[in-house]
Amino acid sequence: MIRRIKKVAVLGAGVMGSAIACHFANVGLEVLLLDIVPRELTDAEKKKGLTLDDKQVRNRIVNEGLKKTLKSKPSPIYLQSFAKRITTGNFDDDLPKIKDYDWVIEVVVERLDIKQKVFEQVEKYRSPGTLVTTNTSGISIEKMIEGRSEDFQKNFCGTHFFNPPRYLPLLEIIPSSKTDPQLIEFLTDFASRILGKTPVIAKDTPAFIANRIGTFAIMDLMNNVKKFGLTITEIDKLSGTIVGNPKSATFRTADVVGLDTLVHVADYIRENTNDEKNDSFQIPDYLQKLLDNGWLGQKAKQGFYKKVKEDGKTKFLSIDFDTLEYKEDPKPKFSVFDKAKPIDDLRKRLPVLLADEGKAGAFYRQTFYSLFEYSSKRIPEIADELYKIDDAMRTGFGRKLGPFEAWDALGVEQTVKAMEQEGFKPAQWVYDMLAAGHKSFYKIENGLKYYYDIPSKSYKKIPGQENKLSLDVLRQSNVIWENDGASIFDLGDGVIGVEFHTKMNTIGSEVLTAVNKAIDLAEEKYKAVVIYNEGDHFSAGANVGMIYMLAVEQEWDELAAAVKWFQSTTMRLRYSSIPVIAAPHGMTLGGGTEICMHSDKVIAHAETYMGLVEMGVGVIPGGGGTKEFALRLGDELKQGDVRVNRFQHRFLTIGQAKVSTSAYEAFDLGYLRPGVDEVIVSRSHQLAYAKQVALMMAEKGYVQPAPRRDVKVLGREALGLVHVGANEYTLAGYMSEHDKFIAEKLGWVLAGGDLSQALTEVDEQYLLDLERQAFVELCMQRKTLERMQSLITTGKILRN
Amino acid sequence: MEAYIVGGYRSPVGKAPRGTLRNTRPDDIAVAVINRLLEDFPQIERNRIDDVIVGNAFPEAESGMNMGRLLSLMSMGTVDVPGTTINRFCASGLETIAVAVSKIRAGIADVIVAGGAETMSMIAMGGWRFVPNPEVTKTHPDWYLSMGMTSEMVAREYGVTREEADQFGYESHMRAIRAIDNGYFKDEIVPIKVQDVYYEDGQKKTREIIFDTDEGPRRDTSLEVLAKLRPAFAPNGVSTAGNSSQMSDGAAFVLVVSERALKEYNLKPIARLIDYQVVGVEPYKMGVGPLYAIPKVLKHSGMKLEDIDLIELNEAFATQSLVVIKNLGLDPQKVNVNGGAIALGHPLGCTGAKLTVQIMHELRRRNQKYGMVTMCVGTGQGAAGIFEML
Repeated sequence: MIRRIKKVAVLGAGVMGSAIACHFANVGLEVLLLDIVPRELTDAEKKKGLTLDDKQVRNRIVNEGLKKTLKSKPSPIYLQSFAKRITTGNFDDDLPKIKDYDWVIEVVVERLDIKQKVFEQVEKYRSPGTLVTTNTSGISIEKMIEGRSEDFQKNFCGTHFFNPPRYLPLLEIIPSSKTDPQLIEFLTDFASRILGKTPVIAKDTPAFIANRIGTFAIMDLMNNVKKFGLTITEIDKLSGTIVGNPKSATFRTADVVGLDTLVHVADYIRENTNDEKNDSFQIPDYLQKLLDNGWLGQKAKQGFYKKVKEDGKTKFLSIDFDTLEYKEDPKPKFSVFDKAKPIDDLRKRLPVLLADEGKAGAFYRQTFYSLFEYSSKRIPEIADELYKIDDAMRTGFGRKLGPFEAWDALGVEQTVKAMEQEGFKPAQWVYDMLAAGHKSFYKIENGLKYYYDIPSKSYKKIPGQENKLSLDVLRQSNVIWENDGASIFDLGDGVIGVEFHTKMNTIGSEVLTAVNKAIDLAEEKYKAVVIYNEGDHFSAGANVGMIYMLAVEQEWDELAAAVKWFQSTTMRLRYSSIPVIAAPHGMTLGGGTEICMHSDKVIAHAETYMGLVEMGVGVIPGGGGTKEFALRLGDELKQGDVRVNRFQHRFLTIGQAKVSTSAYEAFDLGYLRPGVDEVIVSRSHQLAYAKQVALMMAEKGYVQPAPRRDVKVLGREALGLVHVGANEYTLAGYMSEHDKFIAEKLGWVLAGGDLSQALTEVDEQYLLDLERQAFVELCMQRKTLERMQSLITTGKILRN
Repeated sequence: MEAYIVGGYRSPVGKAPRGTLRNTRPDDIAVAVINRLLEDFPQIERNRIDDVIVGNAFPEAESGMNMGRLLSLMSMGTVDVPGTTINRFCASGLETIAVAVSKIRAGIADVIVAGGAETMSMIAMGGWRFVPNPEVTKTHPDWYLSMGMTSEMVAREYGVTREEADQFGYESHMRAIRAIDNGYFKDEIVPIKVQDVYYEDGQKKTREIIFDTDEGPRRDTSLEVLAKLRPAFAPNGVSTAGNSSQMSDGAAFVLVVSERALKEYNLKPIARLIDYQVVGVEPYKMGVGPLYAIPKVLKHSGMKLEDIDLIELNEAFATQSLVVIKNLGLDPQKVNVNGGAIALGHPLGCTGAKLTVQIMHELRRRNQKYGMVTMCVGTGQGAAGIFEML
């Protein structure tokens, strides 16, 4: 029988337990969250006359844990209303309920004896076959199942979520010697498809994979830090986004995680392993002193960094390793950055950085080579396959490239030589690999990715690529057309894909050309188009620089023509003879949202942050976004509705530049259409699914929609509200005079002008003309140009 | 012919939109109050009542369909008694009394039930369909300015500080709590039977509550708590939820009779309305309405401020109340002695009648003679009436 998960019980409502419960709720599951019964009443409870028998007292710990988590930022839940899928309870009264649950996940404190006791209880009530897992960051899975029944042991394994579970994709799955292999197969698919995680099957070794390697990288650096002669700020600059790491880099990450937590993990690894780099997990003196001072990082408001306010300005001071005093570091400057920064492709940037002859290069060689050496020597100790280490480091530590991927980018053979010169020596299997004539850890063939398999000394297909598509993998073979800003891929089966690859994936003439080209091509000889990319974000919106240039030059006709081109491109997404699917993720702003709104269907990743944010640069959505809002407003009106209230909702969504915090919220804001657009939780399945949907639409029989001549607008009925609202917000100080000016234009377009008759039916083109006219008029405003200039030069939104 | 108020009651005031009266309709609350009022006058045949006049600021939805007429049908047991609804926003409940008095003085009526009813839980400020005139708002968007922002405009123009406003709000709560604890409102309040059909644990359940005490005043408030509240209407504004009037549900009615009816039914007069005046002011600072209405009514009646023993100045906002008190030199010890709308609530169209009921009871308790009820009115008006206890 196929295992089905419908109901999940989460035991433990601490930070991690509550957040895991939220993520199960995120994907639509029914969740039971339990924690212990408090031993004593609080003063408030005593005042109310409650006793330890009252439900609200008995569930206090779990309820407070969940409440706190739900309030935390960034939110652990896609929509606050999804929290209603979580029922709370306590171990004493509610544990028997787990007999009806399909998966019981334990997230209590990290102590073996306590976990064992919990499992003893779980065994009493669970039904045979129920999946039971432990969320531990390193305790032996094997020891946890001691004394349990055969059925329990068979259905048990470790599932290590990374904090915050909604956002960090890694899920380490750790089988014991007794775990049913079918269970692991099931969980791997469930984690990926349903939970949207990247499952990595790890061995039952201390700290598993990600924390073992990741903690090594941090601790090894901390133990060697003094020989670089660099400040904390400099190291974070060097080890941040420039090498594909998160912006918080090394020390800032340590502050965020908490120095006590970091030291706890390092101690645990040092005490429970005995590898050649055991000393690298020592706690250096300066770190110990910070700990002794209680400067634990963010939660203590100081750690390696301390935020201070001077003269109303926020400054970040950092610790001097010798004096342990906070000081303001000079702004880091490295000459190699001038060369490296313009290189967009990280794989091409890394060699430049490591070749540097200054302090930066020395730092990079030491840290990368040490990581390469350590990672290679952990095989087969922590994993048999090298891709697991890369997967874990990418998805658990937010690195763009795992150690072996980075190594590949630098060239395996020449790096081995360079490592030897610097006193590092990779594991023997690397030499064997090179000796066998294999020059890289990975290779791509026929749109599939292969890894070097050490025992067989040959390449093997990375499992789990079925039902998935990746542009990165298809890039070598399937690009059928490209320009500087975009590429068109053959996704197979008659579907083509458009990928943006401009800076921040902004939409300028290259992208518009590519979109038109894709539709041309598809109408000529394909079945459907999918708009999708694998950048950090789907799109930051239209290329403001281009608009700014035309406006500064006062080329109004050209500007109007450019806007018209944008409008006609988005309109073609809908009015073409093939289905067009948009599959956005991450930031999907302005023009990016307009592209989605005009596609036949949107398959949005759950983490899609959509918004028509044009107000920030002093204009209204001009690529059909305002028109589309007017159209949707008209379509959603029912007989007897209070029309102006519906209008107000649409007006404020653009007027306040509201951005969704998840794809689900994008429905509430009206960017996505219920019953049409869809959300997918798994990023790795998104493209394949979007393609599948496109094919199905083509298969079902697709006709180009007839143009809309029945867009119902409110006309002057709505205009009074616009005037009053704009005035109100301006007087209150929520908006500037210029905001008010823009808001009036926005209201005018949304209302379809000052038509006397409410619900007059107009053409889409009429609204597009109003939209374009308003857009150009706004571009004639000095203050709008100031806003655009601010975004272009500083990246900041100016409120003028 | 003189007109006399011979009785007056009010409902307790519920908090909107989540208070005890949130699901009790304005007509139901009003009928409960009217029935109690008429209980005191068994000798008056119902079909001798000339009119039921209700004040309401947003006469639509549950308050719609000419609520006044529905009240006369629901409470009189006959179709003979007519009814009407009058709207002067926050002065509506006082306006209806003035209209009743005027009709009687004009000799065209003898017995009138007048008052006000409002449930802001059901119909929020602005009503369900806010459609300002697009032409007018091109040049005068401020004519439709929200009440909260008018409070801020008054604070800006007259220089009211957050501390003063909070202090005023705090005092309102303290006075109201004292009045409740001393039972000062007991005699004027008609307990309202609230039937609550609700859903809990998968089941429909019913409970009945007798609601008999104003629920607005907060015993747990303090200046520290008030100081922490965020400005409610403007990011750097003065007005907060703690120094502005509360949204409320409630009803209040008085019985006004002619001298003829007084004699015929052998009634005891309680008070008479000496004068009532309304003024217009700039809508964007409607809160200053009483600043002009009070001098106007004093001048017209030939009275002096010193003659007035007690004043019920509707606390729309602490800002405008302070400006009125300071600029007219009102004696704070005479103004809102039992707390005001910041603590007790402000059920818009009911307020004028509610304050009338309150001031009559308080004047009688203190054995004093002259009382004034005054308020600011949205879209730039002020109203003030002077009552004399008999």
